[in-house]
Amino acid sequence: MTPERFTHLADAYGADLQRWPATERAGAQALLAEGNPELVEALNEARWLDGLLDSHKVLAPTPELIRRIVAAAPVAAPSFWGRHPGWLSRLGFVGAGLAGIAAGMLVVSLSLPLPSASETLPSIFEQSDADIVLSINAEESDQ
Amino acid sequence: MNETDPDVELLARIGNHETQAVNEMVSRKLPRLLALASRLLGDAEEAKDVAQESFLRIWKQAASWRSGQARFDTWLHRVVLNLCYDRLRSRKEQPLADNDELPEPVDPAPLPQEQLEASARSELMDAALAALPDRQREAIVLVYYQELSNIEAAALMNITVDALESLLSRARRNLRTHLVDAHDPALLRRGKR
Repeated sequence: MTPERFTHLADAYGADLQRWPATERAGAQALLAEGNPELVEALNEARWLDGLLDSHKVLAPTPELIRRIVAAAPVAAPSFWGRHPGWLSRLGFVGAGLAGIAAGMLVVSLSLPLPSASETLPSIFEQSDADIVLSINAEESDQ
Repeated sequence: MNETDPDVELLARIGNHETQAVNEMVSRKLPRLLALASRLLGDAEEAKDVAQESFLRIWKQAASWRSGQARFDTWLHRVVLNLCYDRLRSRKEQPLADNDELPEPVDPAPLPQEQLEASARSELMDAALAALPDRQREAIVLVYYQELSNIEAAALMNITVDALESLLSRARRNLRTHLVDAHDPALLRRGKR
């Protein structure tokens, strides 16, 4: 590598050799080891600007932006109906079964004395639709 | 090449509607993508819009992403760049409207001196970056801030590596000139050798 090439690369990529093209680093390191003051000066100038470039801060993503992005994802907030597309058809079988059981119970109840507090069957409609709200920051989880 | 693309597996999981994969993709890409758009556009709100639009494209592409295409991160940078180009173009086409919106309120709470200086230096850099010609700003943002290789950045900008290096040199020279000429040298002292 020539000193001119070294200066050109410092002008383009800055003072940190890790940012330079990988194929040029060894040559640059060897040249630098020779202690040429002009090259040291070129690196110092580049380092000054690097420091200022590093001082530039950008805003971090806000929770609101994260929520909006996640909500638009294909897996975001699938409804119970979406996650269990066969639910309605299965409900038909369950309903028919329940109807049969109910009919059977009715027959039995008509032939036996009733207890004072009748037990109710658990309702399949009690299962709620679980909305999944995701948050990267684990701020909320409404499962 | 694509065998080592670290995003391919994640994309497949998103394609399979894995909730956790969505979270991982957002935490992996959003800060980087938002920083890119913020620096290219110099406008936080527009950058958020670009980030959102970019993620819509990710969600759309995830299920059909094929290994053998470009690296996903390169593709994503291309998406963001194109969205930013569109906005930069439309800014040039539309004359600036009278700005009747009030500026964002500044937090009146006093900041420690060091924090004030850091904030002032960041604003200084903001102005210096904004003053660069678009292509020079793009080159410095892709290579310095996004840490893309010179080959990746040149490919994204559709130029040769030599042309990229020339843009980078001019960008850094212009930044130096802007920073030295326009502002209080005392503020820059901390960055000086």
